[in-house]
Order: sequence, then structure tokens, then C-alpha cells
Amino acid sequence: MSVLSDIVVILLNGLQQGAIYVLLAVGLSIILGTLKFVNFAHGALYLIGTYAGLFVALNVPLSNGKLYEWGLTTLGLEWGFFAALVMVPLLVFVVGLLMERFVARPFYDRPDTDQILVTFGLAIVVQELFRILFGSNSLPFDQPERILSFGSFAGIPVSGPVALPIVGNFPQWRLWVIGITAVLVALVYLLVEYTDFGLVVRAGTRDAEMVRLLGIKITRPYIVVFGIGAALAGVAGVVGGPLNVVNPTIGTNILVPAFLTVVIGGVGSIAGAVVGGIVFGLTTAALVSLAPAWSQVGLYAIAAIVLLTRPQGLLGDEEVAP
Amino acid sequence: MTPLLETENLVKEFGGLVATDDVNLTVEEDERVSIIGPNGAGKSTLINLITRRLDPTSGDIRFKGESIVNLEPHEVVQRGVSKSFQTASIFPDLTVRENAEIAALAAERGAFGFEFLKHRDSLTDVHDVARNTLDSVGLLDRANTVATDLPYGDKRRLEIGIALASEPDLLLMDEPTAGMSPEETKSTVELIEQVKRDHGLTFVLVEHDMEIVFSISDRIVVLSRGGIIAEGTPDEIRGNEDVQEAYLGGVEI
Repeated sequence: MSVLSDIVVILLNGLQQGAIYVLLAVGLSIILGTLKFVNFAHGALYLIGTYAGLFVALNVPLSNGKLYEWGLTTLGLEWGFFAALVMVPLLVFVVGLLMERFVARPFYDRPDTDQILVTFGLAIVVQELFRILFGSNSLPFDQPERILSFGSFAGIPVSGPVALPIVGNFPQWRLWVIGITAVLVALVYLLVEYTDFGLVVRAGTRDAEMVRLLGIKITRPYIVVFGIGAALAGVAGVVGGPLNVVNPTIGTNILVPAFLTVVIGGVGSIAGAVVGGIVFGLTTAALVSLAPAWSQVGLYAIAAIVLLTRPQGLLGDEEVAP
Repeated sequence: MTPLLETENLVKEFGGLVATDDVNLTVEEDERVSIIGPNGAGKSTLINLITRRLDPTSGDIRFKGESIVNLEPHEVVQRGVSKSFQTASIFPDLTVRENAEIAALAAERGAFGFEFLKHRDSLTDVHDVARNTLDSVGLLDRANTVATDLPYGDKRRLEIGIALASEPDLLLMDEPTAGMSPEETKSTVELIEQVKRDHGLTFVLVEHDMEIVFSISDRIVVLSRGGIIAEGTPDEIRGNEDVQEAYLGGVEI
């Protein structure tokens, strides 16, 4: 292993870790920037996405929790990973719509502290519900070997090592995570920059009252924004699940890095969420391989430096801060 | 013929304060009406009632003969009432073109059905309306400029453009020249005159600058303490003693 290959491995691992942050932060950031809604339950959507992905893709043995006590030893549809990748975002999109309608909307005009209390409460309720049903131990989320295999078609291999120049063998799944994230973020960016929906969302970020006065019923674009943000968190859960442990606390654990990503990137900025996620991912990957004991501290140190020098975030706009 | 806009015994109370006191205002099609009155006379309240930002305490507002008091603000816009705002109301981060497009979009499809995922340019009607509007307010050559970079006078032109982009039947203008330099005021008045000629637009103007009011109005309505104390042609208002007493403290206009 040369120094160069070490660096490339750190870069790739960093991009992969960053991709998960990016998926969460983009959703969080557009919800915060557009709706001025502080959603501490965003991690719960990631949690739901991970478990839903696990149960759609695989058939998982249970070893405790209420479902096990009731006689269920395994759970899952075993429909494969591609099915999970399609169905879970749709499911979490719907969860997001329900969350907007029944949790967020009554709190839009309330102070941030109220929004934080209600959404953090919701996050804990979801977490404990999962703990009761599935137990608090970690479940195995195996990396998919192939996707889209049916009939005589063996499918596209997505797991196992792939030979790359310089670094040699690299876990293929990590590259897929980076690729899937890049495609989805590009789609969201095109949606926001080049459609009527996006125009209204961008205008509403600045001045929702005026958008309303111009004659636009802004609640519909809003509910869609929430749904899209939720769906991205669901995708993060599905693609990130096989790389991390799966237990009921992952939602609340990922929340702080996700929020820090939004804050250092700049609230409401998709590009900012991408930059913030990559910065965090690279920092984490570098510290994990060079100074593992400091890997957690790194995020906070970077966040502190950014906030001290540029309070609105790297790509943020001072005036849009909520 | 049914008047374009009619208010009938319109009352708005804030607690004990009567901001709009039994107002019967009529605006005919193709008419240019100015509303004047001292500070606190209830001019803005009246405009806000018509645009449905405020709910009246009692009375009725009819547009093209139909009551609009139970409509949402965005529905009023779709019926054809548009407002140019008192405070600088543009979207500073968007380009001049996008500012016009969002207004055109609002009037076309503000309720937001499923067609909103289409690319903006595929909906040529919105695109054309925005373009024509920018042309008529003289901002077409600056269409790609981010709105915040426009000079002040152009920002006010853009505001009027935003109001026109929704292709209104009635345009409400709340102090369109507030805060402008004399040259900017002059060019805005020319713009209003031009819009009046080109679009045959019916408008209601709230304005402090008497020179503008007397030069471009067909009829002037004078408000004081929430109620109408006089209305008539500019010449009639100029000679009206009640108006001079209430509004100008007896000073000759």
C-alpha cells in the first residue's frame, strides 16, 4: 500500500460516508430553508428507511422484541435490494407527507423551540416503538450481492471487491452508494432549479407571504418538499444500512451529524449540503484511518471552525437563515 | 352595467378601532380611481380587505358582480385582482425573468395541480406572458439580471411588472412611487400612463403625491377616519372644502 493508494482509499471512503450525510442534509436543508421547520425527527425517517429496506430486501432472523415474543422468528419479504431501493423511498415519502400534515403544519407558526420539542419527542417515540417491536440488538443487514436478478438474468453485481487503478480492490457497494447519491441529488437540483415547482419553492424560501399574495396556494409545494426530503432520508437508510449497524438508535445518532452538515453547508442550499456532507465524510474517513480516537471530535471541530469564520455556512445566504 | 369592483357597507374593526367605516366604493371598468386621505385614514386597510388579506367585520365585496369575501387571497388573484405593493416586493434572489414568470404562473395555475413538474419553458403561455410583461415595463433587456442588482427605480418597475404579469382586470397600486427620486417618480408615472394606454387597465391607486393623483385619475375618493368623505373628478376634489379641511388642514391645494 503506497501513500497515494491510502489517500485514494480515504477519498473514496470519505465520499461514501459523505454521501449518507448529503442525502440526509439535502432533505433537512430544503425543509429548514423553505418551510423554516426544524425537523429533529429527520433521523427517525432514516431509521424507518433502514428497517423498511432490511425487511423488503431480506428475510431477517429476530432474536428478541415483542414480535419475537409473539412467535415471529424471521421477518422480511426477501424481494431483493432493488425492490427496497424503489419501494422504501415511496413509503418514507408517504410517511413524510403524514408528518408534514399532522406534525409539522400545526407548528409552522410556532417558535423553533416548540418545533424541536415536538419533533424530538416524535423521534424518541419512533425509536422506542422500533425497540419494542424488533428488540434493541443490532440486526444483520447484508450487502446485496446482485441487483435486478430475475429469470435467467443473473443481475448486476453490486457487492464484493472491484479492481480499481492505484488502490487495487475496493468494496464495490461503496461506489454504488456514491453513484446513487450523486444521481438523486442531481435530480433534486434539477427539480428545484428548472421546474415551476422549484421556482415557487425558491421564491417561497425568501418570501412565502408574497408567494401567497401573488396567488399561489403554497401548501401543496410545501407538502411535496417535505415528502422529497423524507424520501431522501429513506434512501440514505436503505443504501447506508448495509454499511452500518442496524438498531433503533441509528436515527437519533445520525441526527447531529446531519444537522451539522446543514449548518456548515448553509441552510437552504443544496450545493451547501453537498459540500458540507463531503467535508464531513472526508474528515471522518481521514481520522478513522489516521487517528481513530479523534474521529468523532473531528466533525465538531470542523463545525466550530466554520461557524466561527462563516456563521451562515460555507454556501449559505445570510438573509435566508431561519 | 355591473361595476368591476363594488364594496357594500364594508366595515373593518380592530378591537374598538373602526379602520373601515361603512365604505361603499364603486370602480367601473376602464376607470382610474385614486384613493387619498391622511395617514391612518384606512387606505391600506381598504386595499387589504379587497385583496382578502384581511377579513371584513361586515359588509360585502363584489368583483364582476360576484362576492369575493369568502375567497382565499390566491383565488382573488385568479379572478383578476392584482396588487403592486407598498414595500419593495420582488424576489431578490431570482432573475428579473423568474420574477415575472412566478407571477404569470400564479395567475395561470396557482392552485398547483400536477402539471407543475413540467419544465417551465414547456409552458409557453407563462413564458410569453412574462416576456410581454417585461417588454411593457421596459425590463426585457435585463431579463437575466438577478433582481437585487437592479437600481431602485427598476425594482419598482419590476414590481409593477409582477402585478401586470398576472394579467389582472383590476390593478391595485399602493404608493408605487414611495421612496423614489424625482426622476424615478417621473419615469414611473410615465410607465403608469403607458400601461393605462396600452393595456386599457382599470386601476385603483393609493398615493400621497398629489401631482400624480391629479394627473392620472379619472376619479378621486377621499378617505378620512375609515369613511369616504368625498369623491369626484380631480376638479371637483380640488374645490371641495371638506377635503381641504380633513386632509390638508385647510391649506389650498
